[in-house]
Amino acid sequence: MSASPSTILAEFRDDIRSFADNVVPALLREKSGRHQVLDKSDYHTWMNLLQRQGWLVGHWPREFGGQAWSPMQRFVFEDELARLGLPWILPFGVKYVGPVIYTYGSAEQKARFLPGIISDEQFWAQGYSEPGAGSDLAALRTRAERDGEHYLINGQKLWTTYAQWADWIFCLVRTSREARPQSGISFLLVDARTSGITIKPIRTMDGYRHVNEVWFENVRVPVQNLVGCEGEGWSIAKFLLKNERTAGAIVGTASHALRRLQQLVPTHGTPMLRDRTAELELRFLAFEASAYRAVERMQAGTESGGEASLIKIIGPELCQDILEATVEALGAAGVVFDVQALHEAAAPPLGPHDGGGLLKDHLYNRAATIFGGSSEIQRNIIAKAVLGL
Amino acid sequence: MSALDELAAMLREGIERYACDHYGPEARAGFIASSNGFSEQTWHDYTELGWLALRLPESVGGIDADPGAVAAVMEMVGRRLLMEPLLASAILGTGLILRLANNEQRTRWLPKLADGSLILACTDPRVSAAAPQLRGDHIEGAVDAVLHGDAAHLVFVFAREANGAALVPVLLDASMGCIERRNYRLVDGRGAASLRFNNAPVERLQSDGSKRAVAAFLEEADLALCAEAVGCMDSLLDATVKYLKVRKQFGVTIGSHQALQHRIVDCYLLLEQARALADAARGAVITAASERGRLLSGARAFISIAARRLGNEAVQMHGGIGVTEELEISHHFRRLMVNRALFGDRDWQFERFKECA
Repeated sequence: MSASPSTILAEFRDDIRSFADNVVPALLREKSGRHQVLDKSDYHTWMNLLQRQGWLVGHWPREFGGQAWSPMQRFVFEDELARLGLPWILPFGVKYVGPVIYTYGSAEQKARFLPGIISDEQFWAQGYSEPGAGSDLAALRTRAERDGEHYLINGQKLWTTYAQWADWIFCLVRTSREARPQSGISFLLVDARTSGITIKPIRTMDGYRHVNEVWFENVRVPVQNLVGCEGEGWSIAKFLLKNERTAGAIVGTASHALRRLQQLVPTHGTPMLRDRTAELELRFLAFEASAYRAVERMQAGTESGGEASLIKIIGPELCQDILEATVEALGAAGVVFDVQALHEAAAPPLGPHDGGGLLKDHLYNRAATIFGGSSEIQRNIIAKAVLGL
Repeated sequence: MSALDELAAMLREGIERYACDHYGPEARAGFIASSNGFSEQTWHDYTELGWLALRLPESVGGIDADPGAVAAVMEMVGRRLLMEPLLASAILGTGLILRLANNEQRTRWLPKLADGSLILACTDPRVSAAAPQLRGDHIEGAVDAVLHGDAAHLVFVFAREANGAALVPVLLDASMGCIERRNYRLVDGRGAASLRFNNAPVERLQSDGSKRAVAAFLEEADLALCAEAVGCMDSLLDATVKYLKVRKQFGVTIGSHQALQHRIVDCYLLLEQARALADAARGAVITAASERGRLLSGARAFISIAARRLGNEAVQMHGGIGVTEELEISHHFRRLMVNRALFGDRDWQFERFKECA
């Protein structure tokens, strides 16, 4: 590759920039650019804007309403949105369960669920992790027992992002205990309002509610909500996780965070901060180049098997270091935390107008090397799949 | 064991016992939710236990603790994440009064410090470029992020004399109308404030020797913050080692993986070095000024970096629960963030370390 990665699909990037300037409401752009806490209606507005543009499910096949984007188009799309400081696309419907349903689901499931995902009228959450099943996801114990035309679910899910907003939760559940752990797992679509479901917030140090515990007590789910066959859940989970990890947004997020740090150097900078920032710029350059190279290989079908993991390791670790340097550069303002201001899009008590948001992001991002497959698990994947260890 | 070591051990045990009985995670959460970010009751208990008289002379019923005993207290403050203004009031503010107040002022303030009815806060003399200006017995200017400035009755402000470059500590009554006070919370839950002075009257202390007093104040702050950080790191390492031994994934404890063993050993090595440097810095207070500066700033710079790394590793090895409010891990992580930002951050300390070399 000779061109700079940020010029790949330059016309598409121009369209996205013009969309950001002319279509995205100033208030939403400002809230997102300052890293404020977005609420459900902010996200709804955002997803609908993208859908009207034809971009929300651009990566889906045409027959289901998408534009059959290549992996590179999708990567550039997510990268560019994040570079511009625009909101995150909540992935649970459009990136996670949507592709699962059109790939593995029945005709009835496609007709029933895909329109609500595209219109963002149905909010989806992901029921994967459990107290004893984090990195070792296959150890999950939430049971689904067949009872006539229903499954009866009992168990507990953990770290369920935005479950408090969910209409539906897609869950990995254990339908059999005889076989090896992976083959006893099934993929179920659960109406979040079914009786027996209790959602409790988990309070995290970043000060806003995003993760939850979800308890299932004799929750009855119709058998037609099973995706694929019983025992096929693990294959589906792996398909989904690969989609989760190949995220262009991490490149754009790192770029956006780095630009903010660079702005701080002249006013807050010591010689040491200048050097630290330059080193982070260099690391970004290497990350961006290798991430795009990884996507090219995936697109060409010449992947080594470690590409998604490479992006998932380097990106979040780099973002963490950039945000750490940024918050430290803010000095005292970098340790003043006003959670209410973050929710009301108000200025923080001290420091630049986005200082509180940067601090919140710094705290939130400590989990970026944990969720979606920890950096340790990603390193195991590369050791095994690429290096043959 | 020497008498001094015995005093340190006694204070350490006393705080540990008190914290076990009265300072569990739930109690702490309650303290943070209260208006000052700490418990009035606990502050009162500290009076009874004598900890507020830590620095006070025996003549007023104080402990007259040596630096080793003060460090022992601060290490426990870090370990148990105590929220009360022990550092700002009982150590740094009291230290300034002991060094600079005249007899009349001492008589007025020391008993109130001992019984907890007077809480002090102190600004950071290191941000001297924008230091407030003195005009006679009045002050103009502003200071930000004064630790416990929200709860303090009196605030020590390091201000610049009208006639020159000298930075002198003066005392202000924080409740006066000519002081605008904006209160907020730091990321670790402790209170702080920004103060704006509009020709506010100050109370002066003996000005001769104030340069030496500023230096002594900063040394005391550096030593206390080193000890507090070591306490936090110790607690983080302890909790993480325990977790590695019990958390099972893939049928084995995660601590059985060599990759994680090596990482936690590196954390242990960082803590050992941090503790050794904190001790060395305390020992250096009796040596020549340049060597003292080198060791004090060196200790703070090294501990800032080591604490950051250990904090990051403790969160990462705990996984998701490492970022929750429920576990102390995230609280220690945030306490260390504030510790690093107070009285000279990493870069400031490193620059000073280089200058003194």
